[in-house]
Amino acid sequence: MESMIHDMAERLFRDHVTHRMREDAASGQCPEALWTQIEEAGLTMALVPEDAGGFGVPPAEALGLLRIAGAHGLPLPLAETLIANAVLATANMALPGGRLTIAEGEALRLEQRGKRVHASGHLTLVPFARWASLIVTIAVLDGTDHVLSLPVKVLNVAPAQDLAGMPRDDIKLDHTLAETDAVPLPRPMGGMRQLGALIRSLAAAGAMETILEMSIQYANDRVQFGRPIGKFQAIQHNLATMAGETAASRTAAEMAAGSYDTPAFALTVAAAKARAGEAAEKVGALAHQIHGAIGYTQEHALHHFTKRIWGWRDDFGTELDWTRELGRAALSSPHDTFWHFITDSAAKGAPA
Amino acid sequence: MTLTAFSPPPPGTDFDDLRQEVRTFLAEELADFPPEKRAKSWNGFSRDFSRKLAQRGWVGMTFPKEYGGHARNALERYVVSEELLAAGAPVISHWIADRQSGPLILAKGTDDQKRRIVPRIAAGELCFCIGMSEPDSGSDLAATRTMATEVEGGFRINGTKVWTTYAHVADYMILFCRTGKSDDRHGGMSQFLVDLKATDNIQITPIIDLSGEHHFNQVVFDDTFLPSDALLGEKGEGWSQVMSELAFERSGPERFLSSFALIEELIRLLRDDATEAQQAEIGRLSAHLMVLRQMSRSVAGMLNEGENPSLQAAIVKDLGALFEKDIPRLARSLVSRPAVPGGSDSYAAVLAYTELAVPSFSLRGGTREILRGIIARGLGLR
Ligand SMILES: Cc1cc2nc3c(=O)[nH]c(=O)nc-3n(C[C@H](O)[C@H](O)[C@H](O)COP(=O)(O)OP(=O)(O)OC[C@H]3O[C@@H](n4cnc5c(N)ncnc54)[C@H](O)[C@@H]3O)c2cc1C
Repeated sequence: MESMIHDMAERLFRDHVTHRMREDAASGQCPEALWTQIEEAGLTMALVPEDAGGFGVPPAEALGLLRIAGAHGLPLPLAETLIANAVLATANMALPGGRLTIAEGEALRLEQRGKRVHASGHLTLVPFARWASLIVTIAVLDGTDHVLSLPVKVLNVAPAQDLAGMPRDDIKLDHTLAETDAVPLPRPMGGMRQLGALIRSLAAAGAMETILEMSIQYANDRVQFGRPIGKFQAIQHNLATMAGETAASRTAAEMAAGSYDTPAFALTVAAAKARAGEAAEKVGALAHQIHGAIGYTQEHALHHFTKRIWGWRDDFGTELDWTRELGRAALSSPHDTFWHFITDSAAKGAPA
Repeated sequence: MTLTAFSPPPPGTDFDDLRQEVRTFLAEELADFPPEKRAKSWNGFSRDFSRKLAQRGWVGMTFPKEYGGHARNALERYVVSEELLAAGAPVISHWIADRQSGPLILAKGTDDQKRRIVPRIAAGELCFCIGMSEPDSGSDLAATRTMATEVEGGFRINGTKVWTTYAHVADYMILFCRTGKSDDRHGGMSQFLVDLKATDNIQITPIIDLSGEHHFNQVVFDDTFLPSDALLGEKGEGWSQVMSELAFERSGPERFLSSFALIEELIRLLRDDATEAQQAEIGRLSAHLMVLRQMSRSVAGMLNEGENPSLQAAIVKDLGALFEKDIPRLARSLVSRPAVPGGSDSYAAVLAYTELAVPSFSLRGGTREILRGIIARGLGLR
């Protein structure tokens, strides 16, 4: 797919995201200058409807940016900000600009206190909370999805991190929100768990493509027994297996992105996150096998990508969470046969 | 990476009305067709069924109208194909002709060949078989020895083909053989359209597979005369012609739905009270199936655009075979019920059939090792 915003993102990340930047980020340093460029290029607004300040590109194309960010191991919350802005815009809430993040709000308790909403509960593994100005989440009040916009500066953020060293923070919430910070969502978008699973699936597909490319390159360059190791059939077959898993993950993620904002999203995103998690394990393991000891060092770039795909398995639902969800849907579907479930519900959304 | 990018199937290609029509037809035609027969998947043979399907316009769907086809696109054909497979309909009688021989004749055949043969394929009347493998040439197709020698008015063929699925009932074989000695391993090969019913000196002997069924055969050509107009395409171009058939042969839904009858049986047993672990396994299976279907439809979209996605097809077949081969293991890990060949319990009978069928899934149509070699070459190795 030809896309101007993809080309722009590709150039920006290729020129600026370095091994050093990913290292520094893992030790706590936010790459501010790159963030400014990303924002100036408008990438954080790509999923926002045109009338709310976006570019009006199709959602699948906007979401395609996240695969590219994943392919470069971008150590910044572009994906989170992209989704946060889209959710805020859908609820007609203010878009403050800057770095935002998202959190699963499914377990939060909301109660009406006069005109305001009180939120309590625990937000765990919130990506990049420390580096963000707002946490955007979706939680239910009286049976209706509400978008909450939580200013990070009033929250108590307990820092933790994922396998790649990226912030995954912990927040205890017991706050009464400003009236403008808790707004009913006019139409369902899927919960933050689904939206989060979507962005991780896309990023993982991109990262796996990079891992595959690095592995091919290494297999062609590294010489043992007088020839490049890529000449050995065992290595070739491992690379072919990685290509199949990577292609499946990308297809799955793009299928989910293609059904963003449609009734099919709930099941396609479940499939995408589950498939990406399974592939991440195989692709990561084979990449390290091919790279030998050098790949098992801090010095080599491979770990920035393998640790990311492994870490993302745990964000917004593990494979086990998502396969159970999909399995429950399949086994309890009203269709006569499993086939009808696959072609109808899984491809197009559950019957209304 | 272009190799790992499977462009989504074009929008608006669900063809729901067509799907419903096919389902209604199958519900009637296969009302009494038991699960253990459905388990044969696309290996089930019924001329009668193929003819009825053709009467509905569902054979030769993508062929041009002037040759008896229906000028529909590859994604419409895809809907019909997957519905047939999911129902376990007996389709092999027309399957190979519809999938690859017909398109090959349309692409490379003479006008006369097209007029004589293609309309009868579209009518569901002709069964084709593929004469590629030989006793000493399996994966290494370029080692083919069967030889066509040019003689007055045609060719004399000598050699042996093997594993030829349904040669004993087929009307035609697309024969792949040597027409010249060439230093180039891939040179000097050609394809022929062999009328099996009207040609003398062809000996077809059954080979019984490990499940006890007779579907494949040995086919011996003993100074067999073929007229010049049996040559299909250019003399010496056989290799590249075969290679362009492979994207059709390898990417379709038959590369991951061969065990589908067992999946339906398994889900029927689990439906009412599945444990969380069982739910998760069914979810994993669903995720794989959803993704394979999307990849396979993507390749159908590329074929429709006239591209040659043979590498993507190899990926679909490799992943597809892993999936369909794994179903008996999965079933055994979720349900403890012994496999009983021909047993009265349909789960037990379907499990038995499928356990014996799965070893062939990563052999036929190109072995797993060969596919991975092709993919590796596509990645820039070798
Ligand atoms: C059910 C079924 C139906 C079939 N129907 C037809 C048909 O209708 N027409 C037809 O022409 N053929 C048919 N075949 C034959 C099929 O195409 C061959 O079985 C296949 O190409 C492999 O050839 P082979 O069996 O001779 O195995 P071999 O090529 O001898 O291979 C044996 C093993 O060695 C491995 N191997 C071979 N070369 C390499 C290599 N370079 N690197 C690594 N490993 C290698 C293979 O992967 C395999 O594991 C059918 C086969 C089956 C099982």
